[in-house]
Order: sequence, then C-alpha cells, then structure tokens
Amino acid sequence: MNLERLPNEEKLTLCRKYYLGKLQMYVCVWGFAFLPFLWLVNVVWFFKEAFVKPTYTEQLQIKTYVKRSGLGLLLWVAVLTTWITIFQHFRAEWGEVGDYLSFTIPLGIP
Amino acid sequence: MSTSDSEEDSYNERTALVASEIPSVPSYQQDPDQPQPADMEPRRRTVAPEPAAEPPSLDRSAVEREPVDLEEEEELPLKYGAKHVIMLFVPVTLCMVVVVATIKSVSFYTEKNGQQLIYTPFTEDTDTVGERLLNSVLNTIIMISVIVVMTIFLVVLYKYRCYKFIHGWLILSSLMMLFWFSFMYLGEVFKTYNLAMDYPTVAMIIWNFGVVGMICIHWKGPLQLQQAYLIAISALMALVFIKYLPEWSAWVILGAISVYDLVAVLCPKGPLRMLVETAQERNEPIFPALIYSSAMIWMVGMANPARHAEPTNQDTGSSDEEAHRSEGSALARDWVEPETQVSSGMNRSYSTEDDLDEEDRGVKLGLGDFIFYSVLVGKAAATGGDWNTTLACFVAILIVSVAVRKTKCWRRK
Repeated sequence: MNLERLPNEEKLTLCRKYYLGKLQMYVCVWGFAFLPFLWLVNVVWFFKEAFVKPTYTEQLQIKTYVKRSGLGLLLWVAVLTTWITIFQHFRAEWGEVGDYLSFTIPLGIP
Repeated sequence: MSTSDSEEDSYNERTALVASEIPSVPSYQQDPDQPQPADMEPRRRTVAPEPAAEPPSLDRSAVEREPVDLEEEEELPLKYGAKHVIMLFVPVTLCMVVVVATIKSVSFYTEKNGQQLIYTPFTEDTDTVGERLLNSVLNTIIMISVIVVMTIFLVVLYKYRCYKFIHGWLILSSLMMLFWFSFMYLGEVFKTYNLAMDYPTVAMIIWNFGVVGMICIHWKGPLQLQQAYLIAISALMALVFIKYLPEWSAWVILGAISVYDLVAVLCPKGPLRMLVETAQERNEPIFPALIYSSAMIWMVGMANPARHAEPTNQDTGSSDEEAHRSEGSALARDWVEPETQVSSGMNRSYSTEDDLDEEDRGVKLGLGDFIFYSVLVGKAAATGGDWNTTLACFVAILIVSVAVRKTKCWRRK
C-alpha cells in the first residue's frame, strides 16, 4: 500500500492504529515485570478503542492485547487478594515470621 | 535529613515552572507562518497543523503579533482567560486538598523533631525573637542562593545542549520522588490508621506506583494519569517542605521566592526567561517532568486529524517517530500562554477549525507553582488550628493567581 496516495485523514488514522498497536505491545510486555497496574492502565485506556469504536483493521490486535492485559490483571488481583487475606489473618499467629514480614505493625492489637 | 537532588530539583522545577507563564510568543508565531493558500487574516489565525521544521525566530513573531484586531484583543482574554484559569483551579485545588488532608490526619508531617534540611542550617530554637528572625533570614538567603545557582546551572546546561545530563538529573529526581517519598508517605499513613502491612505487598504497591509514574511522566501515558501523577508528586514535595522547613524560615522563604520568581521571569536576563526563550527558539518542549499541562495532543484517543496531517505526510517511517514528533510539535503548539493576545488568537482560530481544538487548548502550569501554593496552604493548615485559616489562604491564593494572570494578560497587550 502506497502511503503517498492516501489522503491525509486516512494516513493519520492508519498510523494511529499502527502506533496504538505498538504502544500496546510495549505496555503488555512490560506488564510482566510484576506490574499489574500497568495492565490496568492498558485495559482502561484502550477499552474504548478496542470495544466501543467501530471496527477497523488493527482493532483486532488491540483487542487481543486488551484481553491479555485483562487476564493478567485478574490473575494478579486474585494472587494479591489471597496473599493479603492470608497475611492479615495469620499475622499474629506466625510470630516471628509475621513480624519480619511486617512493614507496619499496629499498636495495641496482638 | 540531607535531601538530595530532588530538593534542588524541585525548586528548579518550581522556578522553572514560573517561567511557563512567560508568553511563548515565538512558538505560536510560527504557526501562522505556515504557508496558507488563504489571505492574511486566516493565515494569521489558522494554526497550521505542524510548526515548521525550521525553528521560529523571535523577530518574526514580534512582527506577526501586531496585526491582530483590536476587538478580538479585548474579547479574547475575557473569553479564554476565565476558562483557562478554571482549568488550572482544579488541579491546584486537588493538590492543596491532598496536602491539607494529609497534614490534618497524618501527624508525622507536623512533628518537629529538630531535623532540618541542610539548606536551612540555622536553627529556630533561639532565645530571642530577634535571633530567630535573623536565623530565618539567613536560612532564606542560603535557600534562595541555592535555588539561583541551580537554576543558572540548569539554564547553562540547557543552552549548551547537555540534554543527557538534564534528562538524567530529572529522571533521578522523579525516581526519588516516586519511590522514596511515596514509600515514606505510605508508611506514615499506615501508621496513622494503625494498619498492618507486609513488605511484599508494600513492595508491589510502591513498585507499581513508581514504574507507572515514571512511564507516564517521562514517556507516554493517558493524560489524566499523567496529571494525577504530577499532582501527586507536587503534593509529596510540598509535604516534605512543610515538615522540614522551620516555621519562620518557611514564610520568609515563600515571600522571597515570589520576589525571585517575578525577577527571574520578567527581567530580560532572568534565567527562567532565558530558559523558556531558548526552548522556544529551538522549538522544543520544556522537560516533561516539570510542567503540568491540562491538555496534550496525544495521538491515542485524542488525535485531531488537522494537527497530525503534516507528520503523517512527512514521515512514513515508524509510528513511534511520528508519535514523538507530533507530541513534540503538539507540545510546542500547546505552549499556550493564555495571557497573551497571540495565544488567544491562536485559541480562537483553533476553535473555528474544530471543536476538539478548543478543549485541547490546554494551559500549562509549572509544578513549582503547585508546590508553592500547596506549601502555603499546608503551612496555614498546620499552624492555624481551625479551618478558617486554611480556607482563607486557599481563597486568597486563587484570587491572587487569577489577578496575576489577568494582569500579565493586560500587560502584554
């Protein structure tokens, strides 16, 4: 496809989509470095682009990325929630290990 | 506690930011210089999609500025001044609210344990009022000299294009803010509310907050998130100042800083003015970590075809490049000084083109101003027991900032 022949508008939209795809890819990949927040940002930011806007060619790619980020995010949320619940519940019982892991220890509560 | 670059940097940011209020005539001017098929009027008014590749010259801009209609001149500040000021109210208010809320709830930031910054070595636990006053003044002198030296250093670096150094410095200081200060803040909040928290969770939280913050501020990210982060780091910085500056020194410093701001920004040889002018000459945006912008022309989700037509024309290469260029040029275009008639002219022309333009016509405010105002209000909240003082301060700041902007606007005319 010869870019010079496309009118400006189309070129813009094309490069925009291409750019979106690339950006998304970076964001998704980086999210693997223990960054569920990044995946959350990805999902929220690109949600409209992926699911609400009328279809265009690159949208499929964006959709996959959003879905993958969403999955990763859900996974992390599950892991974190489990860990936090366990910690809060069993902190006192773990004794030394509990204290070692604690960043702040509440006063007055065993 | 010996603070690091971030302190100096924040003050640099602060002072550098005031510079953002300088009318950026040149970068605006280049837009009308774009060759347009139409006649003079629309040519002046129409903001071309992209600034020209060659950097604008200050001379041209001066010439271009004159032929704007008188009527429009009068109308514009009224129409656009208020709107822009309101666009800035919200983030400044948010920042202040965060600071005041923290001050009132987390006692850590109001505890004085005798620690002071190395920039304010003179203690205020003196026997007489006279001594205390003297010490505050001395502290102020030291602080202001540090700021002046750092600002001049920054301007010199910028002039000699030591971009790597500046970027490294900025990245280091934002790293410090985003990780260390927020770690401290989080710790104090948890202690105040007596919650148990474990290291792994805290590590996750801070890591995520910090990395996404770095990405948003220094690279690309959704505009609202970037604004939120900038507000957050301004609030953190303000809290640190409130904690570590002794009482009287803080007020004297605030006064001295305002004077310095005016001098540095309005004097022709002021460092901040030179910084902004150099940036405009080179048609470059000022460093991302220092400016809060209420709207950014960002390709993702906010792209306006008219704006980006040119980069797409010229660059069929990688989209990253395009994004950078359009961002750069967009930022240069967005360097709106709402006070100037020129920018108002630009605003108007934008609005004729596209609805999106008018909202996108954001305003920029330096982060230093955020920190400054927040320190003022935070100190008022910390010292005065009740809310009246705080509210009065808040209202006074808003009125003064509006008045200052309007004055600059009229003055420019």
